Amino acid sequence: MYKLESKNANVFYGASQALTDINLAIHSHTVTALIGPSGCGKSTYLRLFNRMNDLIDGIKITGQVLIDGQDIYAKGVNVDALRKKTGMVFQKPNPFPKTIFENVAYGLRVNGITDAKFIEERVETSIKQVVLWDEVKDKLKKSAFELSGGQQQRLCIARALAIQPSIILMDEPTSALDPISTAKVEELIHELKAKYTIVVVTHNMQQAGRISDSTAFFYLGELVEYNTTKEIFTNPKNQRTQNYITGRFG
Amino acid sequence: MPQIEVELQNLKSEIVLMWKLVSDQMKKSMECLAKMDKDLAEEVLRAEKKVNSAELRIDRDCENIFALFNPVAIDLRLVMALLKINSSLERVGDIAASIAKFVKKSDGFDYLSLITSTHALEMFEEASDLLDDVLHSFESENSQLAEGVFRRDKTLNDLKKDARAVVIAQIKKDPENVEHCLSVLSIIRKLERAGDQSKTIAEEIIFFIDAKVLKHAPKSDEK
Amino acid sequence: MNVVNEDKLAKSKKRNQSIAFFILGLLGYFIVAILLIILSFIVYKGISVINWSFITQMPEDGMTKGGIYPAIIGTLYLVAGSMLFAFPIGVLAAIYMNEYVKDGVFKKIIKQMTNNLSGVPSIVFGLFGMSLFVNKLGFGDSILAGSLTLGLLALPVVIRTTEEALKAVDNTFRQASIGLGATKWQTTRRVVLPIAFPNIITGLILSVGRVSGETAPILFTVAAYFLPKLPTSIFDQAMALPYHLYVISTSGTNIEESRPIAYGTALVLIIIVLITNLLANALRKYFGRKVKMN
Repeated sequence: MYKLESKNANVFYGASQALTDINLAIHSHTVTALIGPSGCGKSTYLRLFNRMNDLIDGIKITGQVLIDGQDIYAKGVNVDALRKKTGMVFQKPNPFPKTIFENVAYGLRVNGITDAKFIEERVETSIKQVVLWDEVKDKLKKSAFELSGGQQQRLCIARALAIQPSIILMDEPTSALDPISTAKVEELIHELKAKYTIVVVTHNMQQAGRISDSTAFFYLGELVEYNTTKEIFTNPKNQRTQNYITGRFG
Repeated sequence: MPQIEVELQNLKSEIVLMWKLVSDQMKKSMECLAKMDKDLAEEVLRAEKKVNSAELRIDRDCENIFALFNPVAIDLRLVMALLKINSSLERVGDIAASIAKFVKKSDGFDYLSLITSTHALEMFEEASDLLDDVLHSFESENSQLAEGVFRRDKTLNDLKKDARAVVIAQIKKDPENVEHCLSVLSIIRKLERAGDQSKTIAEEIIFFIDAKVLKHAPKSDEK
Repeated sequence: MNVVNEDKLAKSKKRNQSIAFFILGLLGYFIVAILLIILSFIVYKGISVINWSFITQMPEDGMTKGGIYPAIIGTLYLVAGSMLFAFPIGVLAAIYMNEYVKDGVFKKIIKQMTNNLSGVPSIVFGLFGMSLFVNKLGFGDSILAGSLTLGLLALPVVIRTTEEALKAVDNTFRQASIGLGATKWQTTRRVVLPIAFPNIITGLILSVGRVSGETAPILFTVAAYFLPKLPTSIFDQAMALPYHLYVISTSGTNIEESRPIAYGTALVLIIIVLITNLLANALRKYFGRKVKMN
């Protein structure tokens, strides 16, 4: 069974169609990169898996999106519970205006967990998972804004991990980071792969090559090509994919 | 045009120049063998330096493109193919030069009759033609043309087998001149290897265009 | 390709730039100059009457002598009262509008109405306040009626600035919170509001500035021509600075003689508005830092 799957998924914003008949299946414990020019629908596609598109007014979604074989858009699905299965990381590091500790604890607190010891332990494991513990262990009570951009982004990943999701969705997670911080996040993605299924939207094709097992190329709301990353970057089957990855687009 | 495109075009024209240089060497080397012309041999040996420096330049350019432009897909295959074609061409150039060297150092022995009876010049011509054919297929990016080279290489192999038999017969007949006969046999071997290099180049062209790997593919009966 | 005379081009570019800078600079200085002229005029005319007893004593001799203490206190009461009314309602309405209502006709209509409301002349608010609070609800001329009327006036400003403040909060904060399983209300209360708070405070204080200077809405709802005592409950009438200024410069017992007092009153009013604006800045900075520290 696939971890994530979409069958004939269509997304409409009002009258315009953002995604057309996307069929894609992702195995668990893999990293999948979504690439394509701006506005191709890759971010919209990413947000199908935690129903984040639901927040947008006037959106319509048809087809099936499955996590562990369950249609997450079926009637009666508990959306809040569903979202706990997925952690999301954004383009710009966006820690909450809280302390480093409270940022990571946030997901636990809003889900009604009050056991201080439990929260403390979970916060520590999560921060350790993103290899940030040594850098922040002495300033957990300080504002998250005092961290550098790269540290903030890793903190945001820790925040997502704290609720123990099985899927991590990343929307251009390193586009606001310097090369060193980028390398750290990429390394982290490699390590997290053992425990999570990761989907990454990226504009950096070298990054897609470095971190992902499979790559999906989106163009104008359609899935043009989906294959192993090796195949996409050495021998793409579709001319548009080739033009895009070799930089001869448009 | 993206900068990588410009760089790849430059690289292509460099390899074509090198190719023509090597092809020229082959033709001149063939002529000097046909006439045992020591002056022409000298010329070929001098030009060998140009081939070597062209090889180094292309190597360096490939390295730069890898490092600076991170080529992928067809671009990646092109640079990889060019890198290998480059070294194949250099080897063919070496073969042309070593035959010229043989002519230059030859003593008074009459090689021509043995060269004629072994059809060595025909082999030479065939090898030189093969090189031109793969150049044509590269320039026109026609992989079918490149495939034609495989058949032609076979004829070259057959010619070599016949030539070997002729040389062995000659040695039996005239054991005095074993050394001279072996020299001719080594030229014939080299020509066969020149043909092999063209075949390798053809394989690289097919890899570049069709992304098909023909190397180490199970072959039909050879040898 | 046509040949460009580099020198000539550079010169003309430079000249155009100088002209543009000159005009823009002139306009900028012009505005500052007008402001300074008004301020210095009032300071020049009013500074002579300002002293401790002026701001702590009752008016005397038909308001030609004495202080303006009750007017200052009245204005402070009115401002506090109007904010007590407008702030919670305005902020909650803005949260509802920005975080909960979906884009559509309903939202558009409410938005348009809010905008229209802020364009309504203040005298109309005064009349409305009189008929609703003073007469219909029977509050009479009172601080309560005046505060409510001023609050209505401030409401659109509060709603709009709060909405802007909420809109300025990057959507990824909401998505991040909701992505962790938080509800919309948890997200709004724990993430969005703290981030927007400094800007909301600024909006609030700017509306205080506006309310404290209004005359028309209090004309029929609270303001007393002359009251030699301080209000003791919210149902009392009160004096207020802008109205006091109006009265002594148009219908006082001796307009000529009370002229210096008018300028003094104007100066006090301006100082109060100035202080609220400075306070707005300080608070925004303070809360801006606090948001990051929590």
